[in-house]
Amino acid sequence: MPSDAVGNGALVPFSGDPPALYPLHHGLAPPISRLAISWSRGNSLRLSLFAGAGAKVVEVKLDGEDPEISDAHRRRIAYGSVAPFALLQSRRSSLSALSRSPSPYHSDWWEHVLQYSKEIASLLGGPKLSPTPIIKDPNTIVKTGEEPTSLKAAWELMEIFYVDKESQAWLPERLVDWLADYDCLFTSTLETIHSKLVDFQKELVNIQVIEEDPKYWELLSSALSVGWLDIVVKMLRLHGSYQLDQLSNRELENGLVEAVAIFISKMPRLCPESAAAKVGECFESKPDFIKAWEKWRSQVTKLDCSPFWIQCDNQRTREGLRNLLQIMLGNTESLSLATCNWIELYISHFLFIRPFTIGIESMHNLAQKCIQLKPPSSTHRLAGLMIGILGESTEVVLAECSREFGPWLAAHAIELFTAGSEQAEILLHDDRYNLGGISIVELHRLVYAQVLSSHALTWQIAPIYLTSCMKQGMGLLENLLYRQSVQPNDVLLKNIEICRLYELDHISSNIIKIAGVHHWKHGRKGAGVFWLQQAQDASRLDRIAQQLFDSVGKSISHESFKQWEGMIELLGSESKPAGGLDFLYKYRDFKKSLQQVSGRKSADAARQAVGSLILLMKNSSTPQRFWLPLLYDSLKLLNWQDCPLLSVSETNLLLNKLQELSLAKLRPHHTEPSLPPDALSSIRLALATNLGRAILDE
Amino acid sequence: MAVTAISEIQRFPQYKYVDAVRWLPQLSAFDRFAVLALFDSDSDASSIEIHHFKPNSLSLEPQSSWVSPSRVVSLKAAQFLQKTVVVASTSSGSLHFLFSDSTVASLESEVSVPEGALHSVASSCVDLMDRGVECVTVGEDGRVNLVSVGDSNLNYRRLFDSAGLVSYTAAKWASPMEFVTGGYGFSLQWWDQRKPGGPVSQFKGNWDQKLTSGIVHSIDIHPSRKHTCLAGGSLGTVFAWDLRWQQQPIILSGAGDGNTAVQSISESEVWEVQYDRRIKSNTSSTRILPSMICSEDGILAVIEQGEEPIELLAEPCAINSFDIDRHNPSDVICSLEWEAVAILTRQ
Repeated sequence: MPSDAVGNGALVPFSGDPPALYPLHHGLAPPISRLAISWSRGNSLRLSLFAGAGAKVVEVKLDGEDPEISDAHRRRIAYGSVAPFALLQSRRSSLSALSRSPSPYHSDWWEHVLQYSKEIASLLGGPKLSPTPIIKDPNTIVKTGEEPTSLKAAWELMEIFYVDKESQAWLPERLVDWLADYDCLFTSTLETIHSKLVDFQKELVNIQVIEEDPKYWELLSSALSVGWLDIVVKMLRLHGSYQLDQLSNRELENGLVEAVAIFISKMPRLCPESAAAKVGECFESKPDFIKAWEKWRSQVTKLDCSPFWIQCDNQRTREGLRNLLQIMLGNTESLSLATCNWIELYISHFLFIRPFTIGIESMHNLAQKCIQLKPPSSTHRLAGLMIGILGESTEVVLAECSREFGPWLAAHAIELFTAGSEQAEILLHDDRYNLGGISIVELHRLVYAQVLSSHALTWQIAPIYLTSCMKQGMGLLENLLYRQSVQPNDVLLKNIEICRLYELDHISSNIIKIAGVHHWKHGRKGAGVFWLQQAQDASRLDRIAQQLFDSVGKSISHESFKQWEGMIELLGSESKPAGGLDFLYKYRDFKKSLQQVSGRKSADAARQAVGSLILLMKNSSTPQRFWLPLLYDSLKLLNWQDCPLLSVSETNLLLNKLQELSLAKLRPHHTEPSLPPDALSSIRLALATNLGRAILDE
Repeated sequence: MAVTAISEIQRFPQYKYVDAVRWLPQLSAFDRFAVLALFDSDSDASSIEIHHFKPNSLSLEPQSSWVSPSRVVSLKAAQFLQKTVVVASTSSGSLHFLFSDSTVASLESEVSVPEGALHSVASSCVDLMDRGVECVTVGEDGRVNLVSVGDSNLNYRRLFDSAGLVSYTAAKWASPMEFVTGGYGFSLQWWDQRKPGGPVSQFKGNWDQKLTSGIVHSIDIHPSRKHTCLAGGSLGTVFAWDLRWQQQPIILSGAGDGNTAVQSISESEVWEVQYDRRIKSNTSSTRILPSMICSEDGILAVIEQGEEPIELLAEPCAINSFDIDRHNPSDVICSLEWEAVAILTRQ
């Protein structure tokens, strides 16, 4: 490839953000002659470095994940979202089956999605249950504790817009609440009221006369502009005129402060009455709210025009309070001054200028206007998400989710988009040529499943997502299952269990065969035989049987017999496929009865032993190399004193076998068993004697 | 169907994989401790930690920790004199004895057998003798070892080596001289220290005609009925082997053989089985005592011969191990696949 075509000698032209650099600490003396790179567990790269003097393997953990959430926390979210996801999928399929249509779009489908959404949201961090202090600190204005995560903020934002149909009427108020919970998150890139309040709270102990501090009034107007009424009322009550020693000579001033505080605490709000914790008066129906709103506004206007202001001689108090009234009356300039960034300004518009704003389009226009008024220096990911939602483009929102928050959010948030709109349902579930014939939904699930699959602790939940992917899910699931280690046992058994759950018998059979061969190769013969038996792999069992016989031939003496005993037990009865190994079972029986014969000289035991011997010699699976040792072991039976134990035909059978053996000797690769040199002749003699006695008997 | 029992359940996320969990012998009425074998996948580090359980404040707080050279594959705890002994075998083949002072429950001293001395494989199982420091270890390599702790040193000897022809996956003491092991093909072996050279008695049931054989994962023996050995393993199988009736196992649960007479609470691996120590007065002496199991499909249940199983927990993930508190048999601690521990208090 000509180097000028790509520049800098790079194989692939690089564009976009500057690459992240990871310093390597390998401690090898240069030069490095070879470098091998492979994926390790999870998000780690394994680099094998070879230098002249030595080699070293180092792992590099690639981050680029969300720094807000640790890996362990992310796994916890992954575990917790399995059950809600699976439940929603099963509801979807049962609904589709009922309505006989592929789309589950149904008038109350959103209720299922809402339940799912609530369950997922609870995983992302519960409501901040800050332990209520026994003695309330008067100086605590804002609660500072564990910060919420952007992930939860993003989830709730989508829930507000896409899922919760019941509260659509009070959407603006829900956004006010949303900002109250998550304003602190914007601090990373933007100036926020929250951070200003936190700073002010720190200074609070050092401030002598609070109402003389311009910051006090500035923050009061800021907090009011975004509707944090409880904070405003609390701060107003810190005003110096409330102090008992000053109450008498600042009566009028105090009256004005209290009047404003009362107005603020009586502000009408369009929200469900169940939101009781809110400061202000809640109205569920729009007409009631409008009536109350008009009345409240006129009262505020009346106070604004009151002659008392002239009599108030504290200039800061007077100006500060009147500015608060301007905010309540929706003065654009005051709102703009009070808020720090476009989102806060946007929320203040909902509260004080257009409390009835309805329709995403007009909300979108308002957002554009606020961005123009307070252009952000950089786009915060939550702001980006909000603009995407207001722009009514599912694809943009999904792209934001995937790019800024990662595959988990993309895979799970998709369910939210389909709650309200059949159009989104079609868009997301239609197979697309440019995605290789899969739908957007499937794409994001597959991506997430890949992330899960790459980690030793989460691969087990990947199948839940893969099996919800119609086109490529099963193929990738098979890959995943094949890739798991067969060692240790519990991983193997967990893997087999997944195969059983999804009825992937052919895969588990292959995995079991691999496990069997693995154990066998590592010297665990019993375990190897067990797994190959489970897989009914007769051909491999036959092959390893030949190897086993070698060691049996060498070592099955009385001492080592105990070792074999358990293994032979494992082989079990004849009904199981054991390949040639069932010979061992019979051989064991024969050996056992021989041992009994040597113990007590009972003819019954001896007859039993002869029976076993004949069975073994008749059985085709008895390897030829065992014939002679078997006969040699049975010499005592052949030479039984009291009577001949073998019949004529039986003796003939054994003689025939001897004949076969002598023919086999002529073939190549014949190995002579290690027996005394006179073994063959003594067997011949014994057989001949027995034959003679048997003929006489019969 | 299974009956569901009422109990209080608390889950404690660990943010680490819980390889094993045990209660520590309770030494005072107020302090409850559990020992957890944890694996931190982010840092690839394993540890054994003692956690303090406070039932009233619903907390399980780490108390002390010991860094393990590799992942713990088997963990047992017992009381010896005034000390608590914890024994753990690891995936690198080493074996560690940790001693803890009774009052503060901190891990104080440790003696260990190095890698390779006992087992050549990653999977092994240990059992600690009650009120003693004698330990049996068995492995997939087919070795059976006895390890005992002296004043300052460890003594270990190999009782048997099957050279891989038989693999052992479970072990349990029956008496100071006898123990039982389990392995592939639902096999059980009875051993006597006084009779080396092989197991004294072997058992392998013949119910596996239909290829439904499996592996024994856990064994328990009740101190009052030493002749009966309880075993749990693959395919939801739980059976008892009575030494006096050697040929037939008493099947308490099992999906394998299509036996409709026996209820099966689970169809997957039974990872652990223990006799339920909560005393019931009306248990007939001819029946097998009630036992508790945990399984790969997330079930924790009590099963009793001839009765419907009682389901205590049904988790969406596997329950890998559990332990019943000897002093408070109503309390059960279990390790969940999804990096958490659950503590159950039965009503």
